[in-house]
Amino acid sequence: MTWLFLAALLLMAGGLGTALWLAARGTAIERLAGMQFAGTVTVLTLLLLVQAYGPSSAIILPLTLTVLAFAGTLVFARLLGTR
Amino acid sequence: MTLAAQILVFAGVFVVLASAVGLVRAKNLLTRLHFLSPATTLGAPLIGVGLVLVNGVQLGSGAILATVVLLAVTSPILQSATARLEARRRGEIDEDLPA
Repeated sequence: MTWLFLAALLLMAGGLGTALWLAARGTAIERLAGMQFAGTVTVLTLLLLVQAYGPSSAIILPLTLTVLAFAGTLVFARLLGTR
Repeated sequence: MTLAAQILVFAGVFVVLASAVGLVRAKNLLTRLHFLSPATTLGAPLIGVGLVLVNGVQLGSGAILATVVLLAVTSPILQSATARLEARRRGEIDEDLPA
Protein backbone atom coordinates (compact mmCIF):
# COMPACT_ATOMS: atom_id res chain seq x y z
CA MET A 1 0.00 0.00 0.00
CA THR A 2 1.54 3.29 -1.04
CA TRP A 3 1.21 6.39 1.12
CA LEU A 4 -0.89 8.02 -1.65
CA PHE A 5 -3.39 5.14 -1.50
CA LEU A 6 -3.45 5.39 2.29
CA ALA A 7 -4.27 9.12 2.07
CA ALA A 8 -7.01 8.40 -0.50
CA LEU A 9 -8.42 5.65 1.71
CA LEU A 10 -8.54 7.99 4.73
CA LEU A 11 -10.34 10.61 2.65
CA MET A 12 -12.84 8.09 1.30
CA ALA A 13 -13.61 6.57 4.69
CA GLY A 14 -13.79 9.78 6.71
CA GLY A 15 -14.84 12.30 4.09
CA LEU A 16 -17.21 10.47 1.79
CA GLY A 17 -18.93 8.71 4.68
CA THR A 18 -19.60 12.05 6.35
CA ALA A 19 -20.76 13.60 3.09
CA LEU A 20 -23.23 10.77 2.47
CA TRP A 21 -24.50 11.08 6.04
CA LEU A 22 -25.07 14.84 5.59
CA ALA A 23 -26.64 14.43 2.16
CA ALA A 24 -29.14 11.94 3.52
CA ARG A 25 -30.49 14.02 6.43
CA GLY A 26 -32.45 17.23 6.90
CA THR A 27 -34.20 19.52 4.46
CA ALA A 28 -33.29 19.79 0.78
CA ILE A 29 -31.22 22.92 1.38
CA GLU A 30 -29.35 21.31 4.28
CA ARG A 31 -28.46 18.38 2.03
CA LEU A 32 -26.67 20.78 -0.32
CA ALA A 33 -23.85 21.09 2.23
CA GLY A 34 -23.34 17.33 2.09
CA MET A 35 -23.31 17.42 -1.70
CA GLN A 36 -20.69 20.17 -1.74
CA PHE A 37 -18.50 18.27 0.68
CA ALA A 38 -18.90 15.08 -1.37
CA GLY A 39 -17.72 16.95 -4.48
CA THR A 40 -14.65 18.31 -2.71
CA VAL A 41 -13.69 14.96 -1.19
CA THR A 42 -14.20 13.13 -4.49
CA VAL A 43 -11.97 15.59 -6.36
CA LEU A 44 -9.19 15.24 -3.78
CA THR A 45 -9.51 11.44 -3.69
CA LEU A 46 -9.32 11.28 -7.49
CA LEU A 47 -6.21 13.48 -7.45
CA LEU A 48 -4.52 11.08 -5.06
CA LEU A 49 -5.62 7.92 -6.88
CA VAL A 50 -4.56 9.25 -10.29
CA GLN A 51 -1.18 10.16 -8.82
CA ALA A 52 -0.85 6.69 -7.30
CA TYR A 53 -2.10 4.42 -10.08
CA GLY A 54 -3.49 6.26 -13.09
CA PRO A 55 -1.90 7.48 -16.29
CA SER A 56 -0.91 11.13 -16.03
CA SER A 57 -3.53 12.01 -18.66
CA ALA A 58 -6.28 10.96 -16.20
CA ILE A 59 -5.55 14.11 -14.18
CA ILE A 60 -8.20 15.74 -16.39
CA LEU A 61 -10.88 13.78 -14.46
CA PRO A 62 -10.69 15.69 -11.14
CA LEU A 63 -10.29 18.95 -13.06
CA THR A 64 -13.48 18.26 -15.00
CA LEU A 65 -15.32 17.13 -11.88
CA THR A 66 -14.45 20.40 -10.13
CA VAL A 67 -16.15 22.40 -12.87
CA LEU A 68 -19.13 20.03 -13.15
CA ALA A 69 -19.68 19.89 -9.38
CA PHE A 70 -19.66 23.69 -9.26
CA ALA A 71 -22.20 24.01 -12.07
CA GLY A 72 -24.35 21.18 -10.73
CA THR A 73 -24.57 22.60 -7.22
CA LEU A 74 -25.39 26.05 -8.59
CA VAL A 75 -28.25 24.52 -10.59
CA PHE A 76 -29.56 22.79 -7.45
CA ALA A 77 -29.34 26.07 -5.51
CA ARG A 78 -31.21 27.88 -8.28
CA LEU A 79 -33.95 25.25 -8.49
CA LEU A 80 -34.40 25.08 -4.72
CA GLY A 81 -34.62 28.88 -4.60
CA THR A 82 -37.57 28.95 -6.98
CA ARG A 83 -39.62 26.36 -5.11
CA MET B 1 11.31 15.86 -1.24
CA THR B 2 9.05 12.86 -0.77
CA LEU B 3 8.95 13.39 2.99
CA ALA B 4 7.86 17.01 2.49
CA ALA B 5 5.19 15.84 0.04
CA GLN B 6 3.95 13.22 2.50
CA ILE B 7 3.74 15.78 5.29
CA LEU B 8 1.82 18.22 3.08
CA VAL B 9 -0.61 15.59 1.75
CA PHE B 10 -1.36 14.11 5.16
CA ALA B 11 -1.74 17.61 6.64
CA GLY B 12 -4.32 18.29 3.92
CA VAL B 13 -6.10 15.01 4.63
CA PHE B 14 -6.13 15.88 8.34
CA VAL B 15 -7.70 19.28 7.60
CA VAL B 16 -10.41 17.66 5.46
CA LEU B 17 -11.16 15.04 8.12
CA ALA B 18 -11.27 17.69 10.85
CA SER B 19 -13.73 19.64 8.68
CA ALA B 20 -15.81 16.48 8.36
CA VAL B 21 -16.01 16.18 12.14
CA GLY B 22 -17.04 19.84 12.39
CA LEU B 23 -19.67 19.35 9.69
CA VAL B 24 -21.28 16.52 11.61
CA ARG B 25 -21.17 18.34 14.95
CA ALA B 26 -22.57 21.66 13.64
CA LYS B 27 -26.10 22.39 14.81
CA ASN B 28 -27.51 24.19 11.77
CA LEU B 29 -26.74 24.78 8.11
CA LEU B 30 -25.22 28.25 8.42
CA THR B 31 -22.74 27.00 11.04
CA ARG B 32 -22.11 23.89 8.96
CA LEU B 33 -21.17 25.97 5.92
CA HIS B 34 -18.26 27.48 7.87
CA PHE B 35 -16.68 24.04 8.17
CA LEU B 36 -16.68 23.54 4.40
CA SER B 37 -14.19 26.38 3.92
CA PRO B 38 -11.08 24.83 5.53
CA ALA B 39 -11.47 21.69 3.42
CA THR B 40 -11.43 23.59 0.14
CA THR B 41 -9.24 26.60 0.85
CA LEU B 42 -6.63 24.93 3.09
CA GLY B 43 -6.89 21.14 2.78
CA ALA B 44 -7.11 20.99 -1.01
CA PRO B 45 -4.14 23.35 -1.67
CA LEU B 46 -2.02 21.42 0.86
CA ILE B 47 -2.74 18.16 -0.96
CA GLY B 48 -2.18 19.84 -4.34
CA VAL B 49 1.19 21.31 -3.38
CA GLY B 50 2.23 17.94 -1.96
CA LEU B 51 1.39 16.20 -5.24
CA VAL B 52 3.21 18.89 -7.23
CA LEU B 53 6.31 18.20 -5.12
CA VAL B 54 6.04 14.52 -6.07
CA ASN B 55 5.65 15.26 -9.79
CA GLY B 56 8.13 18.09 -10.23
CA VAL B 57 7.70 20.72 -12.93
CA GLN B 58 5.56 19.25 -15.71
CA LEU B 59 2.17 19.61 -17.38
CA GLY B 60 0.41 17.35 -14.87
CA SER B 61 1.50 19.61 -12.03
CA GLY B 62 -0.18 22.52 -13.78
CA ALA B 63 -3.41 20.54 -13.99
CA ILE B 64 -3.20 19.66 -10.30
CA LEU B 65 -2.64 23.30 -9.36
CA ALA B 66 -5.49 24.38 -11.66
CA THR B 67 -7.79 21.85 -9.96
CA VAL B 68 -7.07 22.98 -6.40
CA VAL B 69 -7.20 26.66 -7.34
CA LEU B 70 -10.58 26.12 -9.05
CA LEU B 71 -11.78 24.27 -5.97
CA ALA B 72 -10.64 27.07 -3.67
CA VAL B 73 -12.24 29.76 -5.87
CA THR B 74 -15.57 28.09 -6.66
CA SER B 75 -16.35 26.69 -3.22
CA PRO B 76 -16.94 30.06 -1.47
CA ILE B 77 -19.36 30.96 -4.29
CA LEU B 78 -21.36 27.79 -3.63
CA GLN B 79 -21.32 28.37 0.11
CA SER B 80 -22.53 31.93 -0.40
CA ALA B 81 -25.35 30.74 -2.68
CA THR B 82 -26.39 28.08 -0.17
CA ALA B 83 -26.26 30.50 2.75
CA ARG B 84 -28.36 32.99 0.83
CA LEU B 85 -30.89 30.26 0.09
CA GLU B 86 -31.11 29.31 3.75
CA ALA B 87 -31.40 32.95 4.85
CA ARG B 88 -34.23 33.47 2.36
CA ARG B 89 -35.98 30.34 3.65
CA ARG B 90 -35.78 31.75 7.18
CA GLY B 91 -37.09 35.10 5.98
CA GLU B 92 -33.95 36.94 7.07
CA ILE B 93 -33.24 38.59 3.70
CA ASP B 94 -34.59 41.97 2.68
CA GLU B 95 -35.85 41.29 -0.85
CA ASP B 96 -35.62 44.98 -1.74
CA LEU B 97 -31.85 44.99 -1.38
CA PRO B 98 -29.83 44.32 -4.54
CA ALA B 99 -28.46 40.78 -4.87
